[in-house]
Amino acid sequence: MKRDRSDSMNSQGSLSVSDESIARLLCDDNHVEEAVRLIMKKYGEPLYWHIRRMVVAHDDAEDALQETMINVYKYRSTYSNEFPLSSWLYKIATNESLKLLKNRAGYSMSVDDLGDSLKDSVRAEASPDADETLILLQEAIALLPTKQKMVFNLRYYEDKSYEEIHQIVGDSVNTLKTNYHYAVQKIKEYITEHEL
Amino acid sequence: MKEFDLEGLSREMPYKMPEHFLDDLTERVVSKISVEQQKRHKKERRIYVLFASAASAAAVALLLIHPFKVGGPNIPDYESISQCASIDEVFQSMSTDELGVYSMMSNYYGN
Repeated sequence: MKRDRSDSMNSQGSLSVSDESIARLLCDDNHVEEAVRLIMKKYGEPLYWHIRRMVVAHDDAEDALQETMINVYKYRSTYSNEFPLSSWLYKIATNESLKLLKNRAGYSMSVDDLGDSLKDSVRAEASPDADETLILLQEAIALLPTKQKMVFNLRYYEDKSYEEIHQIVGDSVNTLKTNYHYAVQKIKEYITEHEL
Repeated sequence: MKEFDLEGLSREMPYKMPEHFLDDLTERVVSKISVEQQKRHKKERRIYVLFASAASAAAVALLLIHPFKVGGPNIPDYESISQCASIDEVFQSMSTDELGVYSMMSNYYGN
């Protein structure tokens, strides 16, 4: 299949394929595997970190990312060009992360009740040479309510606009702004309280 | 107490991603998708064969139900034959060509 004109070489010299080209390949049964490879090359790492910030443990992030890509294949016909491919991918990844956390919480608890257990996982998963403030930041994020956590991660780490976050999470822009504001306040309080 | 400066903090993560993790995962995902696609193609083939068999059965059934409608307008139907008073009248209503064919067929079958 012909590549889009917007496909270009990136700074590392490898071909950077446009989202439009990837979306076209994804809808073509004969090129779907190539599309999945391109998605993993372009978005695999950011999606992995997005999931990992939600579920904390690497093994869980691996499962959720694998399921995300399988769902990308299964539900590729539902993708609409009205939205950026990245928003669609982040939406699927976010849903998979939440599904995994819901399974872990079981029937008797909500995902928000997992805060303490996720906070404990942060220190266990952190590299031995990790910066203490970065660990505290992840602990603070782990303790946030799920909505605030999603909005904070997408805005702070992924630099997503509120419009993009709206496409992924679904809430109104004003609600997202409020969630981000509260998240920042709680994180600052936590780090100030725990920093040596 | 001095407020913590979140914006000045590094965006790094305190975790590490295992080496070659994404390459390995990509291969696993692609092989799973390949299996899914093969399953889908097999299912589509089964559905095609099922529909083709149903269409063939329907065509055969139609031929069995309406066997005399197939031959076209030149074959006389039962009603026009039964309305003739006798076999002689049938012969009288036949054209020279038809009589010729009848005679040839009779000789061939020995009647």
